[in-house]
Amino acid sequence: MRVEQRRNLTGWAFLIPAALLIALMNFWPMIQAFILSLKTGRGRRLDFAEPLWYNYQRLFADEIFLLTVQNTFIYLIVQVPIMLVLALILANLLNDRRLRFRGMWRTAIFLPCAVGLVSYSLVFRTLFANDGFINDFLMGLHLIDSPINWLGQTGTARLVIILGLLWRWTGYNMVFYLAALQNLDNSTLEAARIDGAGPFKTFWYVTIPQLRPIILLTAIMSTNGTIQLFDESWNLTQGGPAYTSMTMSHYLFELSFQKNPNFGYAAALSYAILLMVAVLAFIQMKVGDKRD
Amino acid sequence: MKKLTKLASLALALPLTIALAACSGSSTPSAQPGGSASGGTTGSGKLTAWAWDPAFNIFALNEAAKVYQQDHPDFEIEVVETPWDDLQTKLTTLAQSGQTDELPDIFLMQNNAFQKNVINYPDLFTDYSASPVDFSQFPQGVVDYSVVDGVNYGLPFDNGTAITALRTDVLEKAGYTVDDFTDITWSDFLAKGKDVLAKTGQPLLSGQAGSSDLIMMMLQSAGASLFDAEGKPTITNNEALMKSIDVYAQLVKAGVLTEVNSWDEYIGTLVNSSVAGTINGVWILGSIQTAEDQSGKWQITNLPKLDGLSGATNYSANGGSSWAISSNANAELAADFLNSTFAGSTDFYDTILPSSGAIANWSPAGKSPVYSEPQEFFGGQAVFAQVLEYAPNVPSNNTGAYYYEGRDAVSAAITKILNGTDPATALDEAQKTVEFAMQ
Repeated sequence: MRVEQRRNLTGWAFLIPAALLIALMNFWPMIQAFILSLKTGRGRRLDFAEPLWYNYQRLFADEIFLLTVQNTFIYLIVQVPIMLVLALILANLLNDRRLRFRGMWRTAIFLPCAVGLVSYSLVFRTLFANDGFINDFLMGLHLIDSPINWLGQTGTARLVIILGLLWRWTGYNMVFYLAALQNLDNSTLEAARIDGAGPFKTFWYVTIPQLRPIILLTAIMSTNGTIQLFDESWNLTQGGPAYTSMTMSHYLFELSFQKNPNFGYAAALSYAILLMVAVLAFIQMKVGDKRD
Repeated sequence: MKKLTKLASLALALPLTIALAACSGSSTPSAQPGGSASGGTTGSGKLTAWAWDPAFNIFALNEAAKVYQQDHPDFEIEVVETPWDDLQTKLTTLAQSGQTDELPDIFLMQNNAFQKNVINYPDLFTDYSASPVDFSQFPQGVVDYSVVDGVNYGLPFDNGTAITALRTDVLEKAGYTVDDFTDITWSDFLAKGKDVLAKTGQPLLSGQAGSSDLIMMMLQSAGASLFDAEGKPTITNNEALMKSIDVYAQLVKAGVLTEVNSWDEYIGTLVNSSVAGTINGVWILGSIQTAEDQSGKWQITNLPKLDGLSGATNYSANGGSSWAISSNANAELAADFLNSTFAGSTDFYDTILPSSGAIANWSPAGKSPVYSEPQEFFGGQAVFAQVLEYAPNVPSNNTGAYYYEGRDAVSAAITKILNGTDPATALDEAQKTVEFAMQ
């Protein structure tokens, strides 16, 4: 055996255990879920559907599902851009070497991420209750006359979920940007300054292009996470009022465990979610990756 | 290089062994959950059980074990606290994957979910046909929740009889007594509710927005439901439902019922005195009694009935749960244990009543003097005896396997109706939603 071959073999030997485990624990269930998505019936009385793609066809006729798709995409379109821009700005501010107590600020902004999804949802629910802190606060400032029923109306309920997501995840993304900023070659920034670029121009033309790969990564991760959003919908609003704040994953859970169990259909729904994540990630990669 | 190969093979072998061990781990010990293996003579051995409320049903189970242990000293019970949502998820997962050997001997199930689970997953249950339990000692309406094709699958535990609980001090300010709210109709209730609101500023009721609990109670009080005898949804052209929704909308619009967003807020309205009453299953008294400063200020009565509807009564139910014996149980022991406590011991019911407020469905228990003791919190009213008087009058409720689909569709319809959609249109949509779910 040549040295190179041997090195290759060693590499494979290291890779195989993890690969096998992933195949066994991830890919095999995915294949099984796909087979399940072709079946129909309640409980364990499952048979292959006629036609095979019946469950997928059913998705398009399911008004609640279509509503949950709409809800999820509203969260995605509103929340992800705001969050990433905010994270970028915060990261840039906190990267300033002259800033005092940088460590404290960073920790404070990252901290929400360490809070459990359920507990933060419950805190938000309490804050936005009819007699909650937010209403008391706004009434105390005489900005509103009577309490706003935040979670009881479609628009405000969605707003509260988006606010929750922003609070929870902005710091998380900021940390990625901070790490990337620290790897930036400071000479590029100095060069820009010497060439007479102001802070905004430096940020826009020098910093952002260099952060592109990490922005792409966070965009894909956030999109992926938002499309699979479950906890906020479940804990904050219970999907209400009248399903208008329910996410796709929440509906999937309802179909499987709360309603008369329809696992074939739920599996089809999970594949629909997978497809959306895949397509969006593909588009983002095409748009974001300018390496060639 | 030799060293490297060794290292590599170790790297390969180690995670795999761990993974395999983890895989096999789940199948080996499952042979004896609940110690059903210890068989032997009836009365000895250990049972495991799933239930969700330490102050209520878990407490009852442990007390029952103490009663049973007096005659069967070798008996033991292990209760695993499992919230209802988790319990349903666990059951579904175990049934779907065929791992019924992971089930406990006994589990508690919401009455409304019973039909769905028995019809979909009959292999989760051991039915009661071989057991000595005398179901005629329970109210028919309650037993019916867990009867599928004439076979009993559940032993009724807590009483879900609906009551109207009212604050006597508030009513007094408006010039009313609880008698003015007894055996009345919803239109009376609405008129008096408006009067109370005008005079005291307090609404009579509160409820969770988007919850159809109250509507379901109204429906059941008229012996109606969302499904017909064949299980087909009857949400459109359902006179009782239309009337119930109409009453509900009027209550909300008049401000006699104030809507809140979560269960905690709902309980809050009761204990903070922001409302003057509530209508719910009798188990709500447990939460009401946490407001010790309101002692002596509450009383209960029956429900208002729907106007101008044949079959309308002043009685209904909400919630309640029943004990199921799993297919993985020491069935003989489980049935004997349940039969000699929950369906056979007045002493047992006497012990659990005062501290947990768990009112028996088992009719002989009601004859015990403990039930007729006046309750100080309720201004000396013997509330438990009162509830037992209501219980046999509650009409049966046809839940069917699609109860939750129906309930949620109607909840969504109510939200839309309150936002201005025409009731008939909203209910048509709800009917379509349920029909779609049943396809």
